[in-house]
Amino acid sequence: MSATAELPTKEAHVLKGHEGAVLAARFNGDGNYALTCGKDRTIRLWNPHRGILIKTYKSHGREVRDVHVTSDNAKFCSCGGDRQVYYWDVSTGRVIRKFRGHDGEVNAVKFNDSSSVVVSAGFDRSLRVWDCRSHSVEPVQIIDTFLDTVMSVVLTKTEIIGGSVDGTVRTFDMRIGREMSDNLGQPVNCISISNDGNCVLAGCLDSTLRLLDRTTGELLQVYKGHISKSFKTDCCLTNSDAHVIGGSEDGLVFFWDLVDAKVVSKFRAHDLVVTSVSYHPKEDCMLTSSVDGTIRVWKK
Amino acid sequence: MASDEEDFVFHGTPIEREEEIASRKKKAVAGASGNLRTLPAWKQEVTDEEGRRRFHGAFTGGYSAGYYNTVGSKDGWAPQSFTSSRKNRAGARKQSISDFLDEDEKADMEGQSLSASSQFDTFGFTAAEYSRKQVEKEQHERPSAIPGPVPDELIAPVSESIGVKLLLKMGWRRGHSIKDVRASSDARREARKAFLAFSTDENTKETSDSMVSETEVETSLDPQFSEDIKISESTPVYVLNPKQDLHGLGYDPFKHAPEFREKKRSRLSANKEAGFRKPLSMKESLFGPKSGKIAPGFGIGALEELDVEDEDVYGGYDFDQTYVIEDEQPAKPSNDNRLRLTSKEHDVLPGFGAAKNSDYSMERFNPPKIPKDFVTRHKFSGPLEAETKPTLSAPPDVPPPADNNLKLLIEGFATFVSRCGKLYEDLSREKNQSNQLFDFLRGGNGHEYYARRLWEEQQKRGDQSKLTIDVKPSSSVQKMTAEERGSLLGEKPLQRSLKETDTSASSGGSFQFPTNLSDTFTKSASTQEAADAVKPFKDDTAKQERFEQFLKEKYKGGLRSTDFNRVNSMSESARAQERLDFESAAEAIEKGKAYKEVRRATERPLDFLAGGLQFTSGGTEQIKDTGVVDMKSSTTYPKREEFQWRPSPLLCKRFDLPDPFMGKLPPAPRARNKMDSLIFMPDTVKAASARQVSESQEHKKETSIEEPEVEVEVENVERPVDLYKAIFSDDSEDDEDQVMNGKIQEGQEKKNEAAASTLNRLIAGDFLESLGKELGFEVPSDVPYQEGTKPMEEENKSRSKPESSSEKRPDRSGFKEKVEEKTSSLTLGSEDEKSRKKREKSPRKRSGGNDLSSPSESSGDERSKKRSSKKDRYRNNDSESDSSSDYHSRDKQGSRSRRKRRESSREKRSSHKKHSKHHRSKKSSSSKLVYSSDEDRKESKREKRRRRD
Repeated sequence: MSATAELPTKEAHVLKGHEGAVLAARFNGDGNYALTCGKDRTIRLWNPHRGILIKTYKSHGREVRDVHVTSDNAKFCSCGGDRQVYYWDVSTGRVIRKFRGHDGEVNAVKFNDSSSVVVSAGFDRSLRVWDCRSHSVEPVQIIDTFLDTVMSVVLTKTEIIGGSVDGTVRTFDMRIGREMSDNLGQPVNCISISNDGNCVLAGCLDSTLRLLDRTTGELLQVYKGHISKSFKTDCCLTNSDAHVIGGSEDGLVFFWDLVDAKVVSKFRAHDLVVTSVSYHPKEDCMLTSSVDGTIRVWKK
Repeated sequence: MASDEEDFVFHGTPIEREEEIASRKKKAVAGASGNLRTLPAWKQEVTDEEGRRRFHGAFTGGYSAGYYNTVGSKDGWAPQSFTSSRKNRAGARKQSISDFLDEDEKADMEGQSLSASSQFDTFGFTAAEYSRKQVEKEQHERPSAIPGPVPDELIAPVSESIGVKLLLKMGWRRGHSIKDVRASSDARREARKAFLAFSTDENTKETSDSMVSETEVETSLDPQFSEDIKISESTPVYVLNPKQDLHGLGYDPFKHAPEFREKKRSRLSANKEAGFRKPLSMKESLFGPKSGKIAPGFGIGALEELDVEDEDVYGGYDFDQTYVIEDEQPAKPSNDNRLRLTSKEHDVLPGFGAAKNSDYSMERFNPPKIPKDFVTRHKFSGPLEAETKPTLSAPPDVPPPADNNLKLLIEGFATFVSRCGKLYEDLSREKNQSNQLFDFLRGGNGHEYYARRLWEEQQKRGDQSKLTIDVKPSSSVQKMTAEERGSLLGEKPLQRSLKETDTSASSGGSFQFPTNLSDTFTKSASTQEAADAVKPFKDDTAKQERFEQFLKEKYKGGLRSTDFNRVNSMSESARAQERLDFESAAEAIEKGKAYKEVRRATERPLDFLAGGLQFTSGGTEQIKDTGVVDMKSSTTYPKREEFQWRPSPLLCKRFDLPDPFMGKLPPAPRARNKMDSLIFMPDTVKAASARQVSESQEHKKETSIEEPEVEVEVENVERPVDLYKAIFSDDSEDDEDQVMNGKIQEGQEKKNEAAASTLNRLIAGDFLESLGKELGFEVPSDVPYQEGTKPMEEENKSRSKPESSSEKRPDRSGFKEKVEEKTSSLTLGSEDEKSRKKREKSPRKRSGGNDLSSPSESSGDERSKKRSSKKDRYRNNDSESDSSSDYHSRDKQGSRSRRKRRESSREKRSSHKKHSKHHRSKKSSSSKLVYSSDEDRKESKREKRRRRD
């Protein structure tokens, strides 16, 4: 039980302010701040360690589904039901640019390492790459090989990885110009990459998390116990890659051991669906957001 | 000729507008019959009553308005007669309501709307309405003392309807209710009370003209003035409830939001009751049409429509409780719903704080303390030693008693006693004092045997687990081992996962995922052994080394170093290519192994079939697991597939990566869906993977059977028979082909499969190519494709054989045509085939046609000049072909270009492209040739132009 001791299972703060479901909660690059977004069309910037709201960003016309901050904390991007990707300035709270082009809701956005492009995953079965440097409004690239809604996107230095409802996790390698499609057979809800970059964790809608080896595409492990059947719930790995975290639709948060897939810990984090989990890049700290309108900060 | 016509002198010729008139009439007729409606919107025309177009061009008068494009009426525009404004000053004009009403509204006002005629006006509503209108009208004429409209109740119906007459005849008297007055008044009073309790907010309800409301009104009379229900009257009662709110008189807060009325009412009635209020969702009434699951709190804009995505998928959380806050009840806390404790950790109401030290402290009773020496398992007080001691001296072995029943009893009892202790024996001895059966306990019949059995049983038990008892007699609790506990709880010990190389026997149908991880680490070395044994890259030792390294890496599993740049001397693309080669080779090795295994297990034909399919289908990586598991379930996930993907140059730039396709033409879009329909393999086969597989096949062949004939065979395989047969079974050419390829058909299965996969690749390549052309894209020559074009050279070799000219056998073009035709229709294919033959028989004619059309070629030339300079470069290569007008030059040129292809990859691409263009032109021309010569000429022109560039 020493393993559970180092897991962030104690509630440190409850961040309240969102009216309605919170759809995503994300740490910034160094883990000092957190951005959350939700059904109330706002994006909120918090200091999760002190539990205070810093700023509220309003411009979206519909619910905001995902948000991501650049590594220098200067800009962030968001997306949501209004089919646009917003590119924001953090300090002024102004929208620098809106990228239009998705034909449906946009489910996820991510910056690349150098924060020069935004990659968005949409309901229109495409990944779109938007250029932040130039002023062009057209996407740099449209990846439309997915057969169904793209739910989640992850970027590495050289690859774009997307998870889709068609059951595939597709890796687009820019170095060799290949697309590797790993068909899991189950709708992929959320993907997350291990910190060593070798594995990808895919949350599937059959209430299973699957860990894939990225180079070979083989299934390394499956994690079960939680409920994930109809909502977009997040999953991620701890910063040490020792545990796998998954949110459940009944408000629980699960911790699995990475290797032997045991449920190391589970506890009730929220009353309702846990929409998002985000793990601190360095410390043992975790954010969970839920449909009940709260974000909770968990520490050891 | 009529005489009156001669009275006129005609100058010039009258403008005949017959067709216009005719068409107009036609249109008018069509419009009348409603045909026009069926036309698309842009074809429909607005006409006036006489069928003239309402809107026409500006030169013909803009739009038709008024009377024949004039104003007003038949009389045309007539000026109003002048009236001097001096005498007749325009007074302050009074606006009346009719100035702002449409005609239909006026009709409503005038009471011309549909209503019951007075004869059938049972309850006199229409009559009342009518009379009211009448009075209003009269009032306009003569101002009365009371200003404004006369209240309804002052005006009585003036006529008696049939219904009233009938009722009167039936004994009904005016002012009485129609209902049966004899009903028990007590029950009715009760019902009325109940009704009153519910309908407290009826003041806003208008008296409707329905029977229901009539009775309702009747039953809910004010208690004070109709105690006696028997003479309840039908006089409408307007004041039902006392005014309870603080609004102004007649103010209806829900006037424009009737949805909330229900909610308010429910709240009020709930307040009257125990104060417990069930939250009544008002979503249904508010947003009606959908499932009612609307995201709470965030209405959408007026211009937006309620969409599917606005539904609240999460549901369950009652935000709406905080949403509608009515301010008409200042006495109450507006957010009373928050009185509910929102969650466990906030046990305080809003506005209150938790006291530091509460007066009331709930007394908590701790669970009773368990004494330290308490043992959870009950133990008989009799010392165990008592029963273990006799074991020291074994009683003599005696034969069992003759009575079988007694023997069984003794044995059972002995077992029981050994298990439960000596105490049980004593107990049962006391109990069964008189029982003859238990004599053996008291030294009677069978006592000896009993003693022996008891000893045996005790020995047995002691042997099993309780050897510790003697050692530690003080410990009262026996320690349980894990196995014991497991067996108690009904657990099964985990099977040790012995991973043999062949798991075919054990793993069966169920596929255990968790074993996979360990599998990765302890991956059987056999694969590597096999790989070592096979050595697919014997000819190139360095490559073989790299391949082995690759295999090691591949099966090492787990966390591995990410540097793939071990071989820095190689270019990025070459490395990628090599990696693909390796992967396919590894796959081929694996598959071959698995194939053999399956062959061994011939008793399962299903497996064999699956294995056979597997040869062409499936991803690269699913072959990780050994044995039949994979062979059986070709659908095992995850499945990896690889495709070419082209990052845009800008994307690479933004990621600070070198473009892997630097300087190469953009790829054709991947036509996946069409592809799937084209390929008759299992659906999972994508063209790309098929290509890879075939490559691996080739590798295998090259390595295992190193003979030059292999290539020839492969080349023959290029034109497999089955597809032709499947599509164009009537074609004689194919029969020849069949003869040619007959040996392959008889050949081994493997080769057939190779053929199929090669065919797939061909289809894929050609299809992509043609699709690219159609969509106006350039055709890529990506890395794997170059591999793919290799067989074409071989084909070309065979083409140079005597007598195997283009007519004899369907070359790629013919094949491609067919493939393309197949997408449209199958029947067209044979026709096309015929036409092509025809054309080839008469090449001279066609060339003549070309000559005829030569003057117009200049334009084509110009156009071709405009094309990219890149293409112009290639033009020089083929410039000779322009000079010859011979039709056959085309084929020659094709072969020439093919020869050139070997020289450089660039030229390869160009000629290939050109080649394919010819096919296209051929195809299109052949299909059109049948219909018109004119088309033919144009087509040939186009062809020529194409040849030029």
